[in-house]
Amino acid sequence: MAQLEILEFPDPRLRTVATPVEEVDDSVRQLIDDMFETMYSCPGIGLAASQVNVHKQIVVIDVSEDQSEPLVFINPEITVLDEELFSYDEGCLSIPGFYESVERPKHIIVKALDRHGEEFEMRPEGLLAVCIQHEMDHLAGKLFVDYVSPVKRQRIRKKLEKQQRIRA
Amino acid sequence: MATYSDVRVQAAQVIARLNTHQETLAQTLPQALDKVAERDRALLQELCFGTLRWYPRLKQVYLQLIETPLKAKEADIEALIFLGLYQLIYTRIPDHAALSATVDATKALKKPWASKLINAVLRRFQRESEALLATADTSELGRTAHPKWLLKAINQHWPNYRDQIIEANNAHPPFTLRVNTEVNTREQYRSALNQAGIEHEPCTFSTEGITLNSATSVDNLPGFREGHCSIQDEAAQLAAHLLQPQAGDRILDACCAPGGKTGHILEIQPDIHQLVALDISEKRLQQVTENLERLRYGQHESAGAKEKTETNRIQLAIGDASQPDTWTDLEHQNLNLQQTHVFDRILIDAPCSATGVIRRHPDIKQLRIVNDIKTLADLQLSILNGLWPLLKPGGILVYATCSIMPTENSDNIARFLAMHTDATDVALAGPWGIAQPHGRQLLPHVSGHDGFYYCVLMKQAG
Repeated sequence: MAQLEILEFPDPRLRTVATPVEEVDDSVRQLIDDMFETMYSCPGIGLAASQVNVHKQIVVIDVSEDQSEPLVFINPEITVLDEELFSYDEGCLSIPGFYESVERPKHIIVKALDRHGEEFEMRPEGLLAVCIQHEMDHLAGKLFVDYVSPVKRQRIRKKLEKQQRIRA
Repeated sequence: MATYSDVRVQAAQVIARLNTHQETLAQTLPQALDKVAERDRALLQELCFGTLRWYPRLKQVYLQLIETPLKAKEADIEALIFLGLYQLIYTRIPDHAALSATVDATKALKKPWASKLINAVLRRFQRESEALLATADTSELGRTAHPKWLLKAINQHWPNYRDQIIEANNAHPPFTLRVNTEVNTREQYRSALNQAGIEHEPCTFSTEGITLNSATSVDNLPGFREGHCSIQDEAAQLAAHLLQPQAGDRILDACCAPGGKTGHILEIQPDIHQLVALDISEKRLQQVTENLERLRYGQHESAGAKEKTETNRIQLAIGDASQPDTWTDLEHQNLNLQQTHVFDRILIDAPCSATGVIRRHPDIKQLRIVNDIKTLADLQLSILNGLWPLLKPGGILVYATCSIMPTENSDNIARFLAMHTDATDVALAGPWGIAQPHGRQLLPHVSGHDGFYYCVLMKQAG
């Protein structure tokens, strides 16, 4: 297992649209293990392959308090069930230190493949539903800052660019 | 995706890392602040600073409550107990809220077994607080909330000022501004503060200083982003004036980061020939650049004629102050400072024990040990020795520390003077501070200036 480097906003590679996984093989499972290790060490509750510069439709999530419920979503698709929205203060491992309230559909169904390539379907609730949609945005090259005002986005961009300069 | 981390979990980790890895608040707190919600940031800061400010007293209570010491790997649980005690004794957080939130933090730390322990310890404290505190305060450590080595040094060097120093070290630091007199006078800026409804008092010793009645965010300060004022303690504001920069001077500001005094020198003498601002840390020089940019002395992106001159006039340099031949510019090109007699003025704001600013860095109580002082004094002397040849005959060198230890201050200057016959110690009239065999010492005052030391040395001509 290895920890992977996470791309940080405004890195243009985060805007790449991911392609579906054709075969869930050992190399995909290796990537999934590394993604979990990377996510847990941050710590985060969700990570999309796009964030570690692998532009395949792979998402790992664990919203439990004690890292006991790892979930894998390969080639995920969602169906929105009704118009009700749910708002949550989201943060992102690619936008460290910033949290903004984002509204997303509350009731959804997710269909995806698991780490063995088996298809499954679930009806997530609360934080898990938020997290899946946040990660699927990554696969489409979208970030949660796209939902906030341009002024706020610019402020976040400036602050992160400054931190990245200092680290470089 | 990431979510907020719990504020007490982060506080416990900051304090645990200080105890196990000697990591300072300056190293760990910024990252911890990034992990909690914006609304929790002030609380995280308060919990870390407060717990460390009272740590030696809290420890006297802790030792009565815990019979067998916790293992080193449980440093975060130990820190949670200190945090719990701090909240119960010193904050207005309702006891039941402090208790449940502190106990709950064990879950996120993945040590649910500890919830019983913390609950039991804190509840026992609630029941027996009076007796436990009374016993803690029978020891000098408990009464003063100062570690042994520091008490010993204060008793030895400042017996007449002991209570004042201890009280100031345990107080919240004042929030003091320096008005940029190139832009506005102190009176003008005071009107701006009045208009903004910010209560304040002018400083006694610094003619540019204003102390606010309570701390505020810089965003509330009129014209802060435009460079109308800086945040700087009154004691630190004396440095630039002691340097007496003259028009046409070449000036060295050694150990300059974060650039507070650098900006001040430019404010009081805009007509200098050149200012070299040196620091050993390239990362911290970035802060200097930002400070100077805010004060409008920065290297602007548009390449106008005035900006061009500014770039040549202000030279940022990276290097060890004791070895001028190794200094480089920001592109890592050597500055070729092998020659002597380069500067009319040199300011050394030396790295020091920071024992004069404990209220701003309460982690010093836990971090410093006696041997550090001697090591620092040797480092300071090597910087003085390294820079002295660069001073022109007739030139002035100002030596400053934010220490209250004579070993780093007057005694160190005595060592230097014994080695350099062409150096004279210029008498300082005050009225600030206390006259020392060499230079003057400012001791920290509650709601007054920080602890600081100054000595002015002149190089004899010929």
